[in-house]
Amino acid sequence: MRNRLRPLLAAFFAVTALVSAAHADQLDDIRKKGELIVGVLGTDEPNSFVDPASRELVGYEVDLAKAIAAKIGVKPVFKQIAVAARIPELQQGRVDLLAASLTHNKEREAQVDFSLTTFVTGQKVIVKTSSGIADVPQLAGKKVLTVKGGTQEANVRKAVPNVDVVTFETTQQAFQALQQGKGAGYVNDEATLIDDMAKLGPAKKDYRILPTNLSVEPLALGIRKGEPALKKVVDDTLAGLEKSGEAEKVFMKWYGPTTKLQFDKRSFKIDSDKI
Amino acid sequence: MPGFDLQLLLHGQYHDWLVAGLVVSIKLAALTIACALPLAIVIALLRLSPYRALQWLGASYVEVVRNVPLIAHLLFWYFGAPELLPDSLKERLYAGNYEFVAAAIGLTLYAASFMAENIRSGIRAIPAVQFEAARALGLGYLAAMRRVVLPQALRVTVPPLLSQVVILWNDTSIATVIGVAELMHQAASVESAVFRSAEAFGFATLSYLIGSLALTAVATAIHRRWPVRTL
Repeated sequence: MRNRLRPLLAAFFAVTALVSAAHADQLDDIRKKGELIVGVLGTDEPNSFVDPASRELVGYEVDLAKAIAAKIGVKPVFKQIAVAARIPELQQGRVDLLAASLTHNKEREAQVDFSLTTFVTGQKVIVKTSSGIADVPQLAGKKVLTVKGGTQEANVRKAVPNVDVVTFETTQQAFQALQQGKGAGYVNDEATLIDDMAKLGPAKKDYRILPTNLSVEPLALGIRKGEPALKKVVDDTLAGLEKSGEAEKVFMKWYGPTTKLQFDKRSFKIDSDKI
Repeated sequence: MPGFDLQLLLHGQYHDWLVAGLVVSIKLAALTIACALPLAIVIALLRLSPYRALQWLGASYVEVVRNVPLIAHLLFWYFGAPELLPDSLKERLYAGNYEFVAAAIGLTLYAASFMAENIRSGIRAIPAVQFEAARALGLGYLAAMRRVVLPQALRVTVPPLLSQVVILWNDTSIATVIGVAELMHQAASVESAVFRSAEAFGFATLSYLIGSLALTAVATAIHRRWPVRTL
């Protein structure tokens, strides 16, 4: 049902976007309403997910967004959105800020503005060890699985020209399909893949992450185009976190050696919005 | 948001994606209609058969299948059902385009449950004396159905069957949840590649609309060529 409604919605929002483009400064609006509405995925450990113990939305991107709301002096309100809905939700003004594992790339720069890069990850592929696939080029002619609406599909097509890509609504479904043998590989951001592998428990040994990166993905927060005041506050907050050492601490809290992801160091700095 | 880019829909890579999606949607709908109609007739006849066990079989099929949402059917046929098969058979299935196969199975079984009820109503609309007269003339049960009752019943059923076929055509869009690269799936891919939502979904909307109108035209033609005959 939702799918059949989408075309209508898309047409409707194309019109409303034209109207709302003439709107006043968004930062003023945020201050006026007293809340910063942040679009997050909410199913994307460790960037944004529901902590099973407290049932609160937590994560790396959630902490960054909270810092930004604190800087503006308003309350952060988190809104869960789907991967494919991220940019439309932002353009239509239903969220003020995207903190949703959003890849910063050239194509998207025409649609939204990006904050300083908040994370750098590679996209990789998981395969079953029994498939005998040792690296990315061997996926040629095979079926790979991933999630709709992200950069994964385009990246794997670029890396392996004649690959067959099947996409699902959630990363969990794509991973499930890999486990059932419905494809040779499952593509996602490396951090997510490590987390998915960890969830397998002992069955982990039957899977392996292929060594070559399909792409290097700089992730950033998304801001509606043409909102320089909001972008400045966001960037200043992020730069401030970097300077005070808080950014390092937040990274280690969600990605560090004591977490499932076990990154021992941070390979990037939050200091640039160029890619 | 920049203006509507018609060129995107007329040439190039994204045009090709959308057209490829449309072709998959048409194939899926055509295959499903071709399989669902005969199945629906069989189920309707089961429900009307003189044997209790067969009536019960037909009725339980209809009630079980039509009372579960289509998306659940598709997820079941894709993620659930094949896991019950032995490994060798499973591997052979998955080597092919199992997404399409699962969607066709799920849609066929789902659509047939609704069509069966339409056809059953059509059969019941034909006065019972017709069937009795046919039997009295020496035709067996199946022959009386096939030669006398069904030809009239199917004519009566054309308008409600058309609704089912149009619903089925639009329902093919749900196959996107199991990764079938049909029209809605391709429109979403174009959207995520270039953020041209209005163009991509505009193309999809127009295609579904044209498809539905074409089906209506076919049904009207059928109805005109083989009008309902009443006593």
